[in-house]
Amino acid sequence: MDAAAMGAAMFGSNYVFPNDLHVHWSMMIVLYPYITGLVDGAFIIAALYYLFKVESLKPVARFSLLFALAFLCCATLPLLLHLTRPERNLNMLITPSPSSAMAGFGYIYAISMALVIFLVLFVYRPDLVRLRAQSSGKMKLIYRALTFDSKDLSPRALELDRKIIKVLVGFGIPVAAVLHGYVGFIFGGVKANPTWSTPLMPVIFLFSACVSGISAIVLAYIVIRKFKGRTIDAACIKTSINTLTGFFILAFTFEMLEVFSHSYLKTGYHHMVEGLLNGPLASSFWLWQVKIGSLIPLFLLAVLTLIRLKDSWYTFLAAVVSAILLLQVFIMRWNVVIGGQLMSKSARGYVEFHPVWFDKEGIIAVIAVMIIPFVILYVLGKIFPFWSREEMG
Amino acid sequence: MKPIDPHKSSSEPVHLPDQAEQLNQMGNKMDRRTFIQKVMNGTIAGSLLLVFPLTAGTFVPEEEIPGVRDEPYDIFDQQFAFVVDITRCIGCGACCVADKREYNVPDGNYRTWVERYVKDLDDNIHVDSPNGGLDGYQTPRKDLDNRTRDTFFVPKLCNMCKEAPCVQVCPVGATFKTPDGFVLVDSTRCVGCAYCIQACPYSVRFINPRTRVVEKCTWCYHRVRKGLLPACVEVCPTGARKFGSLKDETSEVYKILRGEGVLTVLRREMGTWPGLYYKGARMEVI
Amino acid sequence: MPSNYGFRLIFVGVTILVMAGAGLFLKGFLIPDSFGRYGSYRADTIPEEASLPIKHATNSSCFSCHSYEAKIHKAGRHSTISCEFCHSTYADHIRDNKKFAALPVKKEGDITVLCLRCHNTEIKARSQEVIKTVAMPAHLADQNVKLTHNCNQCHHVHAPLKYIDRARKITGIMEKTL
Repeated sequence: MDAAAMGAAMFGSNYVFPNDLHVHWSMMIVLYPYITGLVDGAFIIAALYYLFKVESLKPVARFSLLFALAFLCCATLPLLLHLTRPERNLNMLITPSPSSAMAGFGYIYAISMALVIFLVLFVYRPDLVRLRAQSSGKMKLIYRALTFDSKDLSPRALELDRKIIKVLVGFGIPVAAVLHGYVGFIFGGVKANPTWSTPLMPVIFLFSACVSGISAIVLAYIVIRKFKGRTIDAACIKTSINTLTGFFILAFTFEMLEVFSHSYLKTGYHHMVEGLLNGPLASSFWLWQVKIGSLIPLFLLAVLTLIRLKDSWYTFLAAVVSAILLLQVFIMRWNVVIGGQLMSKSARGYVEFHPVWFDKEGIIAVIAVMIIPFVILYVLGKIFPFWSREEMG
Repeated sequence: MKPIDPHKSSSEPVHLPDQAEQLNQMGNKMDRRTFIQKVMNGTIAGSLLLVFPLTAGTFVPEEEIPGVRDEPYDIFDQQFAFVVDITRCIGCGACCVADKREYNVPDGNYRTWVERYVKDLDDNIHVDSPNGGLDGYQTPRKDLDNRTRDTFFVPKLCNMCKEAPCVQVCPVGATFKTPDGFVLVDSTRCVGCAYCIQACPYSVRFINPRTRVVEKCTWCYHRVRKGLLPACVEVCPTGARKFGSLKDETSEVYKILRGEGVLTVLRREMGTWPGLYYKGARMEVI
Repeated sequence: MPSNYGFRLIFVGVTILVMAGAGLFLKGFLIPDSFGRYGSYRADTIPEEASLPIKHATNSSCFSCHSYEAKIHKAGRHSTISCEFCHSTYADHIRDNKKFAALPVKKEGDITVLCLRCHNTEIKARSQEVIKTVAMPAHLADQNVKLTHNCNQCHHVHAPLKYIDRARKITGIMEKTL
């Protein structure tokens, strides 16, 4: 029997192990990497300005920190909704297993949360001191607490602030990388699943995280400024789009490399992966993730980078590309998390996944979890102004 | 009527060593003695040796795995093996029924199951496992076009991997390998993240919908510790499932493992080093 | 010499470190006692798992009371079958060394279904060296028996060949069946 027939012979009929019928990691586990990815990408923008001195990103630098904080606050929500014993979630902090990638969550999350909060506080300190002077009552107390009860805005204090911000961002980049990279490794470290077990998984996750975060910032910036009737800084958008292009090319390359190298190497059980991508996941992967989600944005990004456009056209296309890429990253997470579980470990069959509406991991829950960060962002915007007076435009 | 064990010469109840005797025999192994002491004092309020809770009286089923029950149990010096002989499995499903009864396994979840492999005249393999083999295999497959050349049954259960991926990935230490080689689940610590389920290449783990924690075949640890065979091995009518201690050179598993003949394991390329061996498994078995 | 503001920040930083340290220390009280004894898990799970109640006993447990059936069962072909597979588990029958419930006994058509789990020749996977199989109702026709008969009307369920061999002896037909 030749090699091709060998693969086909595996599929005499669809057989799924009796315990494989249920997809355990459902939409909440699709959402969790998506949210931490947004945090990472937003953090990249902030890092580019505060550490790497990319001045054109100034208009969105502080906003992206707030954006990261808002989403970071909600990062535990999908996980708690997923656990069948959420009341025991503190076990991850109390007895984390040293060999488990997932055990890192509690401490990594705590550290990155502390980091982002302090970054926001130090970045906003001049404004907060000013706002403290201007406000009264409850708000005054809040501002006092947030500024460590200090009114010192001397050059020496501001210089100290700048140094601290640089250090925090400097630490923040590896912490952010671990915050999302470990999620990629959670998948990459599962040898039992042929789609997941690849060293490229953390890399793919990280790069697509940056894509989603930057797109989110660009889209949010454009939408909010347009909504408030203010100007949009063209240089800022341009730099963001260029960064986005770089990260997206890397993300897309690695995603495709993964698929094609498996297909070329014909490693064990590759027939399952190919059967998956050409079968149950055909439209979700090839049509939505690759053609609509990746090729169209690649084309649009090429247009944006290579052709000189009027600012209004540029902004419009930037918003469109960002929206498509936000969708692409979500679909990519879906295809990896849920798609990977559609293959039975019997290597002889596939299961189906049908999202439900009313379940703790259902569609309504997903929508709710995605709305909450924006509510938090709105509240944060009331305390920490998104844009300074010069940027108000 | 006082139960009489027909295998014993007298009707005297079996004498099991009491606690003090046991502790004396421990010698100077400090940590083990403390362990046993804690066990005695903590969990079973002084009563002996992991009692047989179904009888508080004198009757005790006779020992089926020599060397486990009578001496103090050295948890560090045990080696058990499970062998599945595919040439003897007839697909009766007695093992699945016994397992379900022993643990009250909920419907739709399977701690063990039996698969049917059908090879047709074109050498295509068709595998199925209706209800995990719980109802046996009474009827042949009706949905195949080609005629059957060959059929065989493959029981599946936890492989008790020596390098278990489920143990490696559990974030809270709820699943672990005991010093005597059994991979168990601590149902008081499991959070239900299902990472171990993803990591197991053999799909033997599941989340029990009633307890909402992860469960899997334990090779009937609670029976083995009492010197009894696992329930599925106990009821297997043809000897397709075999279990024993490799410390006992007269046991069937010892002879099979140390003897000639080909033994295979499932998914060898995964590097899990399973403790479950298959005799007579064809290459199509995954 | 750090400024007033600098001191304030140092104070904040130290407070956080102290709180984190206190948290890590307090976490120690939340770890179960037996955790870490053998490895990164709660060692008390082992005796807990080991002392779970057993549901199945062994055939010898059943024979200790049912000596009549024991004699027949041990002498017949079904000696390797567990009583508890057909009759349900010991724990459903005996509690505190006393019978508290009767175990189900299958009747009529249910017996045939149970027998066919093993002895049905429909599934060719039953090696004749391991088990004898028949096709129903062809087997009944072959033996010139009414097609509505159940297995136990000719075969003693505990020793299936008991009556068959006796009948053959009586009628003088002692051919080899296996």
